[in-house]
Amino acid sequence: MQIFFILAIPLLLGLGAVILKDNRKFGIVNSFGYLAVLVACAMLLKRTISSGCAHTYFGFIYLDALSAFFIFVTSVVAFASALYSVGYINTGVEDAAISKRKAGIYYLLFNLFCFSMFLVPALNNLGMLWVAIEMTTLISAFLVGFYNTKKSVEAAWKYIIICSVGIIFALLGTILFSYALSMSGAPKSLNWSDMVIASGRMDKNILKIAFIFILAGYGTKAGLAPMHTWLPDAHSQAVGPISALLSGVLLKTSIYAILRFGVIVINGVGFQYFSNLMILLGSISLIISCGFILVQKDLKRLLAYSSIEHVGIISIGFGLGTPLAVAGALFHIFNHAAAKSLLFFGAGNIVGAYKKHNMNDIQGVIGVLPFTGIITLAGVFALTGFPPFSIFVSEIMIMISAFLKGSYPVAGLLLMALAIIFAGFIYHFGKMLFGHPPKDMARQEEPMSGKIALLFLFVLICAAGILLPFINKDLIWIAQGLFQR
Amino acid sequence: MHVIILFGILASTYLMVIAKRMPALIRSFRYQSAFLFLITSVIAFKEARIDLYIVAALIISLKVFIIPHFLFFILKKIKLNENLGSFINAQLSLIFALMLTYCSWTLSNVLGFSWNHSMGAAITVALSVVFIGAFLMISRMMALTQVIGLLVMENGIFLLASFISGGMPFFVEIAIFFDVFVSVVIMGLFVYRINKLFTHIDVSKLSRLRG
Repeated sequence: MQIFFILAIPLLLGLGAVILKDNRKFGIVNSFGYLAVLVACAMLLKRTISSGCAHTYFGFIYLDALSAFFIFVTSVVAFASALYSVGYINTGVEDAAISKRKAGIYYLLFNLFCFSMFLVPALNNLGMLWVAIEMTTLISAFLVGFYNTKKSVEAAWKYIIICSVGIIFALLGTILFSYALSMSGAPKSLNWSDMVIASGRMDKNILKIAFIFILAGYGTKAGLAPMHTWLPDAHSQAVGPISALLSGVLLKTSIYAILRFGVIVINGVGFQYFSNLMILLGSISLIISCGFILVQKDLKRLLAYSSIEHVGIISIGFGLGTPLAVAGALFHIFNHAAAKSLLFFGAGNIVGAYKKHNMNDIQGVIGVLPFTGIITLAGVFALTGFPPFSIFVSEIMIMISAFLKGSYPVAGLLLMALAIIFAGFIYHFGKMLFGHPPKDMARQEEPMSGKIALLFLFVLICAAGILLPFINKDLIWIAQGLFQR
Repeated sequence: MHVIILFGILASTYLMVIAKRMPALIRSFRYQSAFLFLITSVIAFKEARIDLYIVAALIISLKVFIIPHFLFFILKKIKLNENLGSFINAQLSLIFALMLTYCSWTLSNVLGFSWNHSMGAAITVALSVVFIGAFLMISRMMALTQVIGLLVMENGIFLLASFISGGMPFFVEIAIFFDVFVSVVIMGLFVYRINKLFTHIDVSKLSRLRG
């Protein structure tokens, strides 16, 4: 029953945001609410893994290990960004960048956004899944265009249009899936659990075409190249804590949708078809993001392109499809969410202190913001896959399975791309973090809540990286369950 | 009966492709939705399904009256130059639209609808409405056209759903309706904001974010 608790808390907090006027106090209440959600999600994950069976409520909510895992990842990033929002919004109100009323609207939208993202993995009905994913777009469009400047409104417009068009194709694909189900003689239904049972008898031709539409549709929202064009704009213009949510979990909800349809396609058509498409899109994403990361000037856009790269790696991991690769991809989803949020928060602090995005104008961050500077440096190493951080473990898992499977071109591409991106990141961040701070800038105080959020994520990626080799049996178990239906 | 209504839907879609001014485009969208209403009520009558009557009522109230009214309202509010500003002129657009219809016919054959004549025609029309909607979105410059293109695509998908799977489950259909309505309102708000900030709604000039 934890799922109802998890869904109710954001709604109640959203209501609270309308009633409570003091944005600082509300921010603290908000963080405690998300702490409760985080605990509930961890319990849910533990229960679904240990019991090993799926729970359904009213035929409407369907929870298995996969959905519990995605809900857990969402709750981690939601908690961190609720915590980070306290200081971020407070500074904004004090600097008169946003009014008090707008701070209230921010918290309302934040909670609705989190609610819609918790809802996506919990739904059984594929039509409602579509509606929930479209809801995430509509709500977050306001958070992207929050500051109402020319740039942010332009980004919000591109975001809402490109994602809506993409996702309409996904609806087309969903309808074709339901047509394939009705052709197979099973009773009419849009429920995923019914479709999986009938998937072996579905028409192969229709499934193939339908999955192309699904991949184009949800792939747009997931930020897979070449449909990624909205992503750098939206991520760079959104409010600081929201960038982390967009990059850490919004993209993953669409990957979740692709996986759900992917399981049906694997059962109906065979694994090779799914594998080829996922590896193809993943490789294109890797190559495109590599180029843009090297030449990037804007700090937050750099991080956005890195998200495209990581989505590419995740997609390759699922495309390889061996238990080790799938476990690596799932683990990578978690690691990327934590590490990218860490870096977006660090970037938010840096942009807040220097008041500019251009990386050529930023120097000596460690002198001005010592805490942020050092933890961002660690975050850069984490994100580019250095031991002992957890991304190293998940990337090595995917890489090893590529070699074991004999997909040498894929493994080579991965190695090359990771090396290039590592060089690009160290070059960009080295220039920013070290060097002499500008003369007119003194050492600055950082808000307490932001520090706790950064520390929380940092501990998480370290702990997962060091402890995982001892506890990874559960993870591989989930992965095997995913493709053996 | 079906075929005549389907022809009406296709004809109103072509009217949108050759429209040069915004009011004409919105009017053609209204015709298309009216035909969609007709075909839904015909199916509802034939199969005697109450839920389809409710859906038909929603189509006529939302897509024939409220949404076009809302679009006209925004058009008046932002007092814009009514030209559509197309990247591709009307004649060439029509040729593209015909090609897209041919592609949809091929696709519906691949999907295995050729065995049933009227079904094949319906799926062809539905798919071509979807693709022509997408074509409208990328070939016209004004922000409002993109909203209409999205609505057109949604109409096509709706038509497809009611033919090949006998409509989606009732509450899903209602949820999708609600969703589309909310998205049109939100996009309308953004069009208004864009007009206020940039003093135009020409999407081709929104190019501050690069790289």
